[in-house]
Amino acid sequence: MSNLGRLLGYLKPYRARVVLAVFLMLLVTASALPMPRITQYLLDVVLPQRSQSRLLGVFWAIVGLYAFRGVASFLLNYLLGWLGQRIVFDLRFQSYRHLNRLSLSYYDKRQTGKIMARVIDDINVIQYMITGGFVTLITDILTLIVVMPVVVWMQWQLAVMALVIVPTYVVVYKLFLKRIRALSVELREKWDALIGALQEKIAGITVVKAFHREGYEVDRFMTTVQDNYTLGMSQAKLNRLLGLIVTVVSAGGTGLIYWYGAILVLHRQLQAGELIAFVGYIGYLYGPALRLVDFNIQAQWAGAAIDRVFETLDTRPDIMDAPNAVALASLRGEVRFRNVSFGYDPSKPVLHDINLEVKAGELIAIVGPSGSGKTTLVNLIARFYDVTEGEVLIDGLDVRSIRLESIRRQIGYVSQESLLFSVTLRENIAYGFHDATDTQIIEAARNADLHSYIADLPDGYDTKIGEDGVKLSVGQKQRLAIARATLTNPRILILDDATSALDSETEAHVQAALDRVMEGRTNFVIAHRLSTIVNADRIVVIDAGRIVDVGTHAELVARPGVYKNLYDEQFRSAQDEALAAYLG
Amino acid sequence: MRNLTRLFGEVKRYWGILLCILLLTAATAGLGLPGPLIIRYLVDNLVERKPFNIPLFFGLYVGVSIASSLVGAGLSMTVTYLGQRFKYDMRRKLYAHMQTLPLGFFEKNQTGKLMSNITNDVATLDQLISGGFVTLVSDLVTLTAVLIIVFRMNAYLAAWSLVVFPLYIANYLLHIGRIKKRADEIREERDVMLGDLQEKLAGAMVVKSYAKERFEVRQFVGQTRNLLELNVDQGMMGTRMWTLAEFIGSGLGIAVIMLIGGRQVMAGSLSPGSLIAFTSFITGYLYGPILRLIQINDQIARTNAALTRIFGTLDTEPNIKDRPGAVALPTITGAVEYDNVWFEYEPGQPVIKGVSLSVRAGQMVAFVGQSGSGKTTMINLLSRHYDVADGAITVDGHDLRDVQLASLRRQVGVVIQETVLFNTTIRENIRYGRLEASDTEVEEAARAANIAHVIEALPRGYETRIGEEGIKLSGGEKQRIAIARAILSDPRILVLDEATSALDSETETQIQTALERLMEGRTSFVIAHRLSTIVKADIIVVMEKGVIREAGSHQELLERGGIYAGLYLQQFEVALDQQRAERRT
Repeated sequence: MSNLGRLLGYLKPYRARVVLAVFLMLLVTASALPMPRITQYLLDVVLPQRSQSRLLGVFWAIVGLYAFRGVASFLLNYLLGWLGQRIVFDLRFQSYRHLNRLSLSYYDKRQTGKIMARVIDDINVIQYMITGGFVTLITDILTLIVVMPVVVWMQWQLAVMALVIVPTYVVVYKLFLKRIRALSVELREKWDALIGALQEKIAGITVVKAFHREGYEVDRFMTTVQDNYTLGMSQAKLNRLLGLIVTVVSAGGTGLIYWYGAILVLHRQLQAGELIAFVGYIGYLYGPALRLVDFNIQAQWAGAAIDRVFETLDTRPDIMDAPNAVALASLRGEVRFRNVSFGYDPSKPVLHDINLEVKAGELIAIVGPSGSGKTTLVNLIARFYDVTEGEVLIDGLDVRSIRLESIRRQIGYVSQESLLFSVTLRENIAYGFHDATDTQIIEAARNADLHSYIADLPDGYDTKIGEDGVKLSVGQKQRLAIARATLTNPRILILDDATSALDSETEAHVQAALDRVMEGRTNFVIAHRLSTIVNADRIVVIDAGRIVDVGTHAELVARPGVYKNLYDEQFRSAQDEALAAYLG
Repeated sequence: MRNLTRLFGEVKRYWGILLCILLLTAATAGLGLPGPLIIRYLVDNLVERKPFNIPLFFGLYVGVSIASSLVGAGLSMTVTYLGQRFKYDMRRKLYAHMQTLPLGFFEKNQTGKLMSNITNDVATLDQLISGGFVTLVSDLVTLTAVLIIVFRMNAYLAAWSLVVFPLYIANYLLHIGRIKKRADEIREERDVMLGDLQEKLAGAMVVKSYAKERFEVRQFVGQTRNLLELNVDQGMMGTRMWTLAEFIGSGLGIAVIMLIGGRQVMAGSLSPGSLIAFTSFITGYLYGPILRLIQINDQIARTNAALTRIFGTLDTEPNIKDRPGAVALPTITGAVEYDNVWFEYEPGQPVIKGVSLSVRAGQMVAFVGQSGSGKTTMINLLSRHYDVADGAITVDGHDLRDVQLASLRRQVGVVIQETVLFNTTIRENIRYGRLEASDTEVEEAARAANIAHVIEALPRGYETRIGEEGIKLSGGEKQRIAIARAILSDPRILVLDEATSALDSETETQIQTALERLMEGRTSFVIAHRLSTIVKADIIVVMEKGVIREAGSHQELLERGGIYAGLYLQQFEVALDQQRAERRT
């Protein structure tokens, strides 16, 4: 429960309001006390005396009491609502800021839906617990503290009878608690499983349909729904049973008090009104016991939610600015790998002892079999991951000593998958450079051979993409991503297989533009197509995480090795035929 | 309101449970009523200090309490049962229906929205049914009974106790408009926030590579701050309404009853016990139900959005479905015929314009063309993810629209551009192609797709989990698993859409042999941009803006000297130059 303590720490900045809220809670609690006494006064004094003026007094007392209670509870609830929303805001802000700090390795391992659930659902659950259950709990405790002396003072024998029942609650409650807790943990897990399965199968619907597995998927999904159903029912059963026992016990207790109280009244040791008032107070004692059951269930959910939220907040970002990191306003674009080894899992290295020195303005092509570490290599330049050993230097400085933002702002990165956002084409292109002028945006689109397509759309650059927007082909998405990257005018440009879905004709257009764009920058290109690769100043050949060869196309084809094999295998047969056809 | 009638239609089939609930509700209401009367008996005797049968009173009091909580528990269990049952059936219905909808539906709707359709929207409906409707029934029953009782007890006092009601209702009506408006604003703001959040978390890579973290945090803070203000404002109005309601109902109401009733007691026309009983009837059974009755309106309004979404999904007709009398496609040889096919995603914007193409069984067809030229659409039409607008596609002479969808797709194997693997073991992912395949067959498929050595090198081999908490595979590895999956399904027609784009040349060559073996005896359609993959095709189809510009073998097209020849020479120019240079030396 130390996490609960930590959560309460979030209230600290609002200390004054919390104190005020507790004070108001006291007032609200206290305002509930006089009512049974007023009833008693009415029964025992006003009515037997037939005093009209006192009756009018009772009337105004009730109106006044409720007016007071109304004002106090309005203020209290307003304050609590504010505090609850404020904590939600603070937690969401912190979580989201933290999520943005976390490095890609965090996202690699988690489904987006689950991360979302933490920022949204978990924090909502926490809010409900704080402003709902938690406040009720405090109010109930306050009420108990205040009412206990009152009942003892009114009639101690009756009070003892009333309190004797309390241990029964505790025992019953203890008996149920464990099973309820276990069930709610299980329920939560099954629900997560349901959400996970749903997310995956809806996102992967193309595969489901391609293999015609619709019926199979419905059956599978229904088993998870069935699990939730069964658990939900047994939880309800348990809760009802507990509720039932508690109600029976408190009904028996109240009955006994009436019994003994009636005898006292008949023996003139107690007034009738007093007994009614007494039972009224006992209601204040038993009510909290009933509510405790509900609170417990709520607390179970909230406890899990709190743990998860703090777990996220406690995940240390592996990539952070060093305290004395320098900002580089303008990079020259020299990149150097010095004895670099890296593994996503440190025990399983993906790159071994990489040494590579790239001068500013060079065009480097990286080739190698899939899984050989090409993408990993370029990901180290923008410091999406930190090296396990060795160092990556930009302009002679270890990337870990440069401020992340100044590196990434000056690196244009186009990844294998083109991720676009559901906003307009203009906003997508200008994502890296919000202040871009229309001319600059059109220029970037033109460079990516996309301008003519966009200009033909009815809404042009203001066309929304994604849901309710226009549907782009994979090639168009890639070109948009290229436009986005070139708009920022980066010093280092990384194209990770960014043109794979472009057909040759488009690629030729883009290639011409890219050649222009690449000028004056350091460029890293991962590509499979020869035409992209041959223009490189140097070709780096990677195999199983090691650099096995470096050189120009002419040099590499001239000597036996991985590159020559790749080249021969891919092009020989086509080439021969082409030659035959071309040379006649 | 039409939504609501439809919802009643959905609920109707639980009439047995509903009847049960109705009876239990009546019983609960009935058992709640004697309470105040028993107290009246007690108070009247005590005030007069008249000896009475205390054990009998005790028995009555405890008995009624226990009976009422027993019935209450039964009611609550039945209601829970109804709710769970309803959610179960509704989720099944929605999910099963979604599965019948074509790909176009999923392209238009974000995954998150479809999910919340099944999870949240259904839960909202359940709240209306097991919360709203049940309380409505129970409140109506209680209200009628209590009104009859209090008016029979003392019509004068009962009439007085209703005096505060206009105030009560006025207070509610005064506030509810603004509260509802706020609630709508909150919902809108929240939807925007959720949509953005989902996208930016899924696109963390882009956010990071442009160093836009702080920008995104600022945007998010702006949205949540708006939400904070709206929520606080709504909370304030709600609190004001409820506080006033409590003051009017409990405060003024009780005060009036005590004043008027007190006078009657003094005049001797009412017993003190009746006054107490009266107070508890009014506060316990009258104000609450009336307020809830007014509120049900609001609750229905809130549910309406969820209802519209759910019925919206259910009403989306799968435009691709088996026509009545569709026959199962027999095992095909794989001859495919496109006959003057037209197709459009959006009305008025045809993307395939009168394409005719005849493919013999066992031939390999390669589609070449710019992105957006209609290549992917051509093969989507073949797996019948969409229906042609005009013309026809036939397989072995059967029009696709005349055969059962399942029997068609079972014989068409597809490997698509974006590799989708599921969060389970590698073995299960491959087996997805044919669920009844044995382990050996799975491993053979992996070998054929040239991925077996990678899998076997893993510590847990085929049992390794992929995805979250599992291992990270490279793009090429994922694609080969997808290919293994397709190989396992042993289709008659094979479709490879960019399937080899993420493979490096070496792996591609290795897989090419496997694919060639697989393609043998099957009809295959390939979209690949590398000409080396294409040159071996029996028919190369060059597409441009939805029409076939050229079709023929590599040799034929080169000889023709058209678009294809141009593309080909361009891609190989470099290599050719070099080759020529080599020859010269």
